[in-house]
Amino acid sequence: MKQLLLLSLLWLSHSIGFAQNTEADQLLGVWEPSNGKARVKIEKIGEKYYGKIVWLKEPIDPNTGQPKVDKNNPDASLRTVPLKGYRMLKDFKYLGSNQWDNGTIYDPENGSTYKCIIKMTDNNTLDIRGYIGVEALGRTDVWKRLNLKK
Amino acid sequence: MRFNILICLSCISLMGFGQTDSLQQEEDFSMYENLNFADEGAKRFCTPKVFDLSPAKLISIGFDHQGAFDVDYGHWKDQNGNHLSDLKQGDFQGAGGLRISANIPVISKTNVVLQAGINYARTAFYANSNRNLNPLDATLKENGLSTAGLSTTLFKPFNEEHFMIVQASADLNGDYATKNITPIKYTRYSSAIIFGKKKHDRKMIGFGLSRTYRVGELNYIPVMLLNWTAPSRKWGVEMLAPARVNIRKTISPRNILLFGYELEGNSYRILHHQLTNGTENLSNIELRRSELRIRATWEASLYQFIWMSLQVGYRYGYSFNLDQYNDGKEFFRGFTGDQPYLQENKMNGTWYAQLSLNLVSP
Repeated sequence: MKQLLLLSLLWLSHSIGFAQNTEADQLLGVWEPSNGKARVKIEKIGEKYYGKIVWLKEPIDPNTGQPKVDKNNPDASLRTVPLKGYRMLKDFKYLGSNQWDNGTIYDPENGSTYKCIIKMTDNNTLDIRGYIGVEALGRTDVWKRLNLKK
Repeated sequence: MRFNILICLSCISLMGFGQTDSLQQEEDFSMYENLNFADEGAKRFCTPKVFDLSPAKLISIGFDHQGAFDVDYGHWKDQNGNHLSDLKQGDFQGAGGLRISANIPVISKTNVVLQAGINYARTAFYANSNRNLNPLDATLKENGLSTAGLSTTLFKPFNEEHFMIVQASADLNGDYATKNITPIKYTRYSSAIIFGKKKHDRKMIGFGLSRTYRVGELNYIPVMLLNWTAPSRKWGVEMLAPARVNIRKTISPRNILLFGYELEGNSYRILHHQLTNGTENLSNIELRRSELRIRATWEASLYQFIWMSLQVGYRYGYSFNLDQYNDGKEFFRGFTGDQPYLQENKMNGTWYAQLSLNLVSP
């Protein structure tokens, strides 16, 4: 009987973990920022969430005729890294209540990295708030989920 | 049997957990080209920025300083235009003061951006304290001029191309420093509305109308917005004409130069030094101050989001006249009205410099 109770608790804890995991994994997928200039695929590595650029509206740099690279990165050694595939969202952890925090967002336009919090307002919409120091000093961008064309 | 089922269920749970871990691997990025919004009703909207636009300042603390200049004080006149006093000249060793502003996004959504701001700008006038020219000169020396205000800006995109901007501000301007602020009933309101089109990520253009005190007194003038970046992304234009026009040279995204002008002005309530025409005290007096500042500006990131802005140029005095409201209420003269000024003054030009530290917006 004790053995049965123990196994039930084990199964229950896994189920709760699985449910929370499922909720947290709603973030996974491909998303488009409001400017429509890029698409970002959010994936999970370990317990954290990361987003990389998988599509660019203008993939070619008009000055070089070559695929765009991270030319504004403050670290000179990274200025030749292609933007496509670049991980611009990093280290997000699920906090519950459809919020992912403790992460950063990188803006390739100016090479700045901001603290960031992600809030899912519905299944297909994210409020991505990049901020400086405190949340009040920031800007929210609304990202929309993308699916394969039917 | 029951034991085995539970073991299986536990394993399934663990497998599901494990599957969410994704591995870094090479991807075929072409698979991300043919995607649609999951939410069929979702729309794209244009943003308020173009490439390489100079950064918006969330918080700014700076100091403005003007070099030595003269003010040619005109004759006092009564409401019928009769002269009451003689012309005199006041020399100032300089003028300047603190400038603080904050502009915080209150709502920042794809389909609406709303900012709220506060600002304070001080101009102390440095002059020989013993001279006795006229009441305006006296209050400039003793109290200087200050502005404290609130502002809001709404950016409303309608779709991927078209947008509207609405700006409104309320300022308390007067001959005060930090105490005895001009009473709230003398608040001066400015506003503007612009309808525009964002043709692409390097160009947005718009036209509208503003209610403004930038020429010192109330005026209604058409405005033109143009934010444009050249294909090379080395040059650009940032313009809200006729208030300000700047040619932008982008050295790097964290280091830019701006060349252009700005028209600054407001109507200041003169309350703290009694103005008199010799026989009776004058009330409802406003100083119509307007300056055209032709300048070069260097803006650069000092550390991450902290930027420095250094501005040097020539300050031309466009208006420094006094008005008296006949019935205590604002009136509209425009560029063609013939209402006489109480005193027509000329503030002569001088060099100026402005240095500020800024926390810039993401």
